[in-house]
Amino acid sequence: MRYKDYDTIDFLSDEFFIQWVKMPDKNTRHFWEKWMQQHPEKRETVLEAASIIRSVKYAHSFEVSDEMYVESFENIIKAGKQKKTGDEPKMGSWFSFFPLRNIAAIAILCFCGWMVHHHMIEGVEPIKPVVAEEITVFRSVPPGKRSLITLADSSRVYLNSGSEIEYPKAFSQGDRWVRLKGEAFFEVRKNGYPFSVFARSTEIKVLGTSFNVKEGHTNLSIALLSGKVQVNDQKGNQVQLNPAEMLAIEEDGKFSKTGFDPLEVTGWKDKILVFRSASFNEVKAKIENWYGVDLKLVGNVSENWKYSGIYKDENLENVLRGICITSGWQYKIANRNITLYNPK
Amino acid sequence: MKPEKKEILSASHLVLPLSQSESLLKFESNTDEEIWNAFDKGNELAFNYIYRVHVKAMFRYGSQITCDSGLIKDCVQNIFIQLRDKRGSLSSVSHIKGYLFKSLHREIIRKLKKETKFGRDGLHQKETYFPITMSQESILIQREKDEEMRQEVRKALKALTARQRQAILLLYEEGMSYKEIANVMEFSEVKSARKIIYRGLATLKGILKKS
Repeated sequence: MRYKDYDTIDFLSDEFFIQWVKMPDKNTRHFWEKWMQQHPEKRETVLEAASIIRSVKYAHSFEVSDEMYVESFENIIKAGKQKKTGDEPKMGSWFSFFPLRNIAAIAILCFCGWMVHHHMIEGVEPIKPVVAEEITVFRSVPPGKRSLITLADSSRVYLNSGSEIEYPKAFSQGDRWVRLKGEAFFEVRKNGYPFSVFARSTEIKVLGTSFNVKEGHTNLSIALLSGKVQVNDQKGNQVQLNPAEMLAIEEDGKFSKTGFDPLEVTGWKDKILVFRSASFNEVKAKIENWYGVDLKLVGNVSENWKYSGIYKDENLENVLRGICITSGWQYKIANRNITLYNPK
Repeated sequence: MKPEKKEILSASHLVLPLSQSESLLKFESNTDEEIWNAFDKGNELAFNYIYRVHVKAMFRYGSQITCDSGLIKDCVQNIFIQLRDKRGSLSSVSHIKGYLFKSLHREIIRKLKKETKFGRDGLHQKETYFPITMSQESILIQREKDEEMRQEVRKALKALTARQRQAILLLYEEGMSYKEIANVMEFSEVKSARKIIYRGLATLKGILKKS
């Protein structure tokens, strides 16, 4: 059977597919991304299968404490020692092997690493200018517009409507950072130096990847398409994201990881407007921001009202028409003011 | 971006040099078979590597069978002690994690049987092995927030047998292949591993349909 004839269960039991979901590498990622592009009709099935695979967990979590880890190791080595009472001088005693020697070696390594790092930074750039004195560039996009900015290191930033970024003018090797308000999609070029995005009080640190960052009303969400990112929040928490994972950080600092639909989250950069079981308020906010208009509804909208639809580079009128046909509503456009009527 | 802070952070993990150690660097690119051979020949770094890479997963796996962490610890230690005793005459192993899981499973069952006086309630307990959950991550559960849906999920998960749960967890949580699963679950044919997973997933299909 070919992948295009697969149903959810077939995907769920396919080793190559599971490998992509659980441990994506270049090979699997390339294949499945290409495959999804060619089979958009299978997208829902694939995403559903992926989210099920990701959600299955051991019900019991078990963290080995440091003590247990070390103690078990010692017990194992000691047990062997007792049997062969000291008849092998060449082996040395167990503690010379673990953990003292390693600790010493790594401590020295760390120290050297720190020295080298410290020395190099200080040696090459004697005194780093304080951030406040750094000359920065601001770029912003009004509602209704989107823009693509290419940075000096050839990384690309797609900036969504009503968003703004700030970055150092001398956007160079050791100093790659962007401060973001709103929503942006980043394609970071790998050049051996870290690239940081600051949003709210969170730092998103990457080497070379593509990911979406969105500031919501109360939360911040980071969705990773490829590569690896590390997120540091104000409290010093560190979270790593793998491809196809989305991290949401709430105002109170709580965070959660979920899967996501790439089209829904990053479609905007390719001018694709996506509604997926969206509530009226979500639809309203999206349209207002996308087209830079004000939208109001005359009449009631039921609580169960949900709208799904995908519009590629479509004008406002067509989108309104789509919504009104499925909902039995009417619309009126007067300049930047849109009114929807629910006759029921 | 202060280098000092970073180094202090990693220094605190020194007690457990899991990520930066001689043994890791040395064996990272070797196959399981090569590592196992080195261990058999008495190479202490190879043993160190095996312990580091697999012991946490072993503890976690064991805790799906019993909640007695002391017992799991004893079993893990016993396995390694016995293996070290037999160095020089170990049979070859192509998938170390699977081999250790299989040994651990046997060892825990052996101990449990002893403790419950020849498995008086062993049969009942078996059905509780390898409990499974589906996290909130799942789109299905996220979209459908009502309690009814959760009940459905719970019911479907309950309908799985312990062996089906074990197989599904090995496939998804441990990322094992069918061949490796067959080995851990002591099936003589890979086909049986495929079958048990297919049956388990078919049971779960109930949840999918209703969403």
